[in-house]
Amino acid sequence: MGEHLENIRKFQADVQQCMKCGFCGYFCPIYREEREEKGLARGKGQLIRFALEGQQELSKGFYQAIDNCLLCKTCVQYCPAKTRIDHAVTAARADYAAEKGLPLSKRLVFRYVLPHRWLFGVALRLASWFQGVLPRGQGRFRHLPQFLTALGAGRAIPEIAPRFLRSILPERSTAASTPKYRVGFFAGCATEYIFPEIGAMIVEVLRNLDCEVVFDRRQGCCGAPVYLSGDFATGRQMARRNVETFAEYDYVVTGCATCSSGLSEYSTYLAENAAEKERFERFAAKIKDFNEFVIELLAADLGRLTLKPCFRGKTVTWHDPCHLVRHQNIQAQPRQILQALEGLRFVEMADADRCCGLGGSFSITHYDVSRKIADHKAEAIAACGADAVVTACPGCMIQLRDALSRHKPDVEVLHIGELFTIRSGLADKS
Amino acid sequence: MAYRQFTSQLASIVGKANVLATEEDRQVYSYDGTSTWTHKPDLVVFPTETEHVAAVLKLANENRIPVTPRGGGTNVSGGSVPIRGGIVLVMTKMNRILSIDGANLSARVQAGVVLMDLQAALARQRLFFPPDPQSFLGATLGGIIAENAGGPVCLKYGVTKQYLLGLQAVLPTGRIVNFGGSTVKNVVGYDLVSLVTGSEGTLAVVTEAVLRLLPLPPARKTIIALFDDLPKSGATVGRILDAGTIPAKIELLDNWVVRSINRITGLGLPEDAAAMLMFECDGKEEVVAHDSQKVIEVCQEVGATQVLVAQDAVQAQGYWKARSAGFAAVFGAAPTVLAEDVTVPRSRMPEFIQRVVAICAKAGLEVTVIGHAGDGNLHPSVLTDAKDPAHFQKAQRAVDEIIEAALEFGGVLSGEHGIGLEKQKFMRRTQDPIFIELMRKIKAIFDPNGILNPGKIWENGSGDACEA
Ligand SMILES: Cc1cc2nc3c(=O)[nH]c(=O)nc-3n(C[C@H](O)[C@H](O)[C@H](O)COP(=O)(O)OP(=O)(O)OC[C@H]3O[C@@H](n4cnc5c(N)ncnc54)[C@H](O)[C@@H]3O)c2cc1C
Repeated sequence: MGEHLENIRKFQADVQQCMKCGFCGYFCPIYREEREEKGLARGKGQLIRFALEGQQELSKGFYQAIDNCLLCKTCVQYCPAKTRIDHAVTAARADYAAEKGLPLSKRLVFRYVLPHRWLFGVALRLASWFQGVLPRGQGRFRHLPQFLTALGAGRAIPEIAPRFLRSILPERSTAASTPKYRVGFFAGCATEYIFPEIGAMIVEVLRNLDCEVVFDRRQGCCGAPVYLSGDFATGRQMARRNVETFAEYDYVVTGCATCSSGLSEYSTYLAENAAEKERFERFAAKIKDFNEFVIELLAADLGRLTLKPCFRGKTVTWHDPCHLVRHQNIQAQPRQILQALEGLRFVEMADADRCCGLGGSFSITHYDVSRKIADHKAEAIAACGADAVVTACPGCMIQLRDALSRHKPDVEVLHIGELFTIRSGLADKS
Repeated sequence: MAYRQFTSQLASIVGKANVLATEEDRQVYSYDGTSTWTHKPDLVVFPTETEHVAAVLKLANENRIPVTPRGGGTNVSGGSVPIRGGIVLVMTKMNRILSIDGANLSARVQAGVVLMDLQAALARQRLFFPPDPQSFLGATLGGIIAENAGGPVCLKYGVTKQYLLGLQAVLPTGRIVNFGGSTVKNVVGYDLVSLVTGSEGTLAVVTEAVLRLLPLPPARKTIIALFDDLPKSGATVGRILDAGTIPAKIELLDNWVVRSINRITGLGLPEDAAAMLMFECDGKEEVVAHDSQKVIEVCQEVGATQVLVAQDAVQAQGYWKARSAGFAAVFGAAPTVLAEDVTVPRSRMPEFIQRVVAICAKAGLEVTVIGHAGDGNLHPSVLTDAKDPAHFQKAQRAVDEIIEAALEFGGVLSGEHGIGLEKQKFMRRTQDPIFIELMRKIKAIFDPNGILNPGKIWENGSGDACEA
C-alpha cells in the first residue's frame, strides 16, 4: 500500500487516543439510527488506525465510512478519552481526495462553482428558474416532487431568492454615531442566495450597535463545505482569499454558524507552513458569531434589544447549531438575547443541542438517515409548544423547515437576527 | 474469504441490508474493547427478530459455521472477537424495550437495548435496573447478561444475575427456549437462567430478557475522602461496613489516577493524596443523611486528610464524571494497557495493592490502580506497548505475578470482565481440571458442534489468534 496518508499522520495522536470503549454509540446521531459499527466514531477511528498500520486501503468502502459523518462533534464532546474524531475524519477525507479524488459531483462543485461567486450566482439563478415549476410549500419553501429523487423525494427545499444579497445591500453601511468598530460582514452562501433579507437585517443590527459594516464584495464562500469534505487545495485558496479580503477589519461577523466555525478552523487543516498557520490563527481571532458579538458589545445593556412588534406574544425555542455549541462553545449568548427580549416567551426544547442531521452535503448524499435524525429534532420542537424555533445557521434552518413540514408545518423557523432591532444608546439616556 | 456462499441464504433470512461482507465491515467487527485481540469475521449479520436468530443458527449449525454473538462490543476480555472467523451476529438492531411493568417491578427487553437507554426509560417511571457496569453508554443487555456484569453499586445491590427473572434465548442448534419466568420466586428445576448468565455467549444467544427492577432511590449523596496512605483507606472501608452502614458505592483511586483526573477535569484535587475513596449513599432522605454522616465520621476518625461532600446533584455528577475520566486516562496513557480485573477479599485489599505496586516497581513498570473498594474488585493496569517485545514481556510477567498474588490472597482472576481470550491462560493454569471438564460437557450438551463463540473461556482460542 503506497499511500502517503500525509494528513492522517498529522492527526495521528487524535486517532491513537481512542480506547475503543464505544461510548460514542450513545451520542452519535448516525449510529443511533443505523446501529452499525462502521457509522460509529470508534469504527471510523479504527479504520483510520488500520490504514495507518497498513492493514486497510483507501478503498471505496473506506471512503463511504468516513463520508458517513456529520462532523457534529457530539461524540467528541462526550468522549472520555477526548478523541478528536472530527480531525481524524477530515484528515482521512483529505488523504482520500488526494489519492483517489472525490466523487465527480463534489469535485465539480468544490473546484469550479463554490470558489467563483459569479458562477455560483448563475448556477443558482438557473436552478431557480427550474424551481419555479415546483409546487409551493410554506413561505420560501417548495416541495420537491417525486421525480427529483436525487435530493430526496417529497423534500421541502429552499427557494433561491429572487434578488441576491449583493443587489439588496450596499457595500458600506455606516454607523448611526461615531463607529466603535470597523466590521466586515461575512454573508456566507446560504445568506447571500437563499436568505438575503436575513443578511440585511443582521447588518442593520450591527450598524445600530455603532459599527461601520462593510459587505466586502471580494469575499467568497467560507470554504468549510469544501475543505471539510477533503478538498484541502481548493479550501486553501478560498481561505487565503477570505483572509486577504478581511485583513483591514477589526472583526468579521457572520450570522451563519457554519461560516464562523469554518473561518476559524483554517489553521487546523489548511496552513502550509508556520507563518501561514499564524496568519490563519490571527484571522480566527477576529471571527465573531452574530450572537457572540451582540452580547459582547451590549454587555450589561441588553435593554437595548427590542423585539419587533410582529413577534410580540410568541413563544420561541432555541436550536443549538453544532457549529455554534460544539465547534465554538457558544450556547449562553443566544439564550441571553432571547430571554432579554421583552414580549417574547422562551422555552427550552428537549436536547436542544442535538444535531439536526443536515451536515452540509450529507443531507443530500445520505438523505434517508439525515431525515430520520431531523425527525427527532422536529418532534422535540413540536413537543415544547413553541410557535417558532430560532437558530443562527441557515443550513439548520433549511433542515428544520423540511423536518417541521412533516411534523408541525405551522411552527416557524427563524434566524435570531430577524427578531429584534437595537434601540439607540443615546435615546436611552435622554 | 470463507463462507461467502452463504450470503444469499443469510440475506433471505434477515434481509439483504442486514448481511455485510465488505472488507471494511469485516474490519470494524474484528475488535472489541480489548487492546490486544483482533480477528476478522467473514460475514456480519444483524438479526431483527428472535426467529432470525433461530434461522441463522440453524443454518450455521448445519454447515458448521462459527457464530460469535456481539452486543455493544465494549467487553474488555476479547469475548466478542470472532477468533475463528465465520459469522458475527450483531444484536444491536434488536433494541426495543418491549414493556415496563411498574406493579410487578419488571421489564421485558430485547437483547440489543443499550443500558443507558433502558435506564432513561425506567427513570421516567421512577424505576431503575440496579446493575451498573460503567460502560452503560455502550453495553447492551445481552452483553451484560452474557458477562454477568456488575458495577460500583454491587456492594449494596449485587450483580446482573440477581436481577434476571427470565430469558428468551436461542440454542446453537436453532431451538428457541424460554428459561425462568416473570416471578421473583421460581424453583422449577435447574436454574438455567443463571447458567446462561455469564456464559459469555458460548451456550446460547440471548434474544430477550425479563428484568427485575427497583424503585429509584429518592435521594443520594456523594462523598470524597483523601488519604495519605493506602492502608488507611482500606481500613476505612472495613470500619464503615462494620458500623452497619452500606453505601451504594465505594470506589478507590490511586495517586496516578487522582493526578490525571486533575489534568483532564481541572477539579483541583490534592495531588499528594496516596489514595482517594469515593462514596455514594442512596435511599430515603433520612437514611442518606444518617449514612453519609457515618461515612464522614469514620473517614475523619481513621485520618482522612480531606473530606469533600458534593453540595448538589450537579457537583456529584461532576465527581462521578471525573471518576470515568480517570478510567479513560488509564487507557489513553500508553499504547497497550494490560488492565487486570482481579478480586480479593475486601479486608486484604490495601495489602494487595501494596504488593502490586512493589511487583511493578521491581520490574520498572508504571502501574495504576482503580478499584471497586466496596467489593474488593481491582483494576491494576500495567502500562506498556505490545510493539516493544522486551517491555511487553516484562509487563506480561508482572501481570502473571499480580494474578498469582491475588490467588494467594484468596481472590479470583476476574471479578467482572470475564475470561474471553484475555484470561484463558490463567484460567487453565489456576482452575481445578474438573471445573473445566464440567464446562466442556455442559457446552457439548448445548452446542454439540461447537459453533457458538468457539475458542473462548476454557477452550484454547490463542491457537490461530493474532495477538496484537
Ligand atoms: C470503559 C469500560 C468500563 C467498563 N466497566 C465495566 C463495569 O463496571 N462492570 C462490568 O461488569 N463490565 C465493565 N466493562 C466491560 C463490558 O462493558 C461489559 O462486559 C458489558 O457487559 C459488555 O456488553 P456488550 O453489549 O458491549 O457486549 P459485547 O462486548 O459485545 O460482548 C460481550 C460478550 O457477550 C456475548 N454476547 C453479547 N450479546 C449477547 C447475546 N445477546 N447473547 C449471548 N451472548 C452475547 C459476546 O459473545 C461476548 O462474549 C467495561 C468496559 C469498558 C470499555
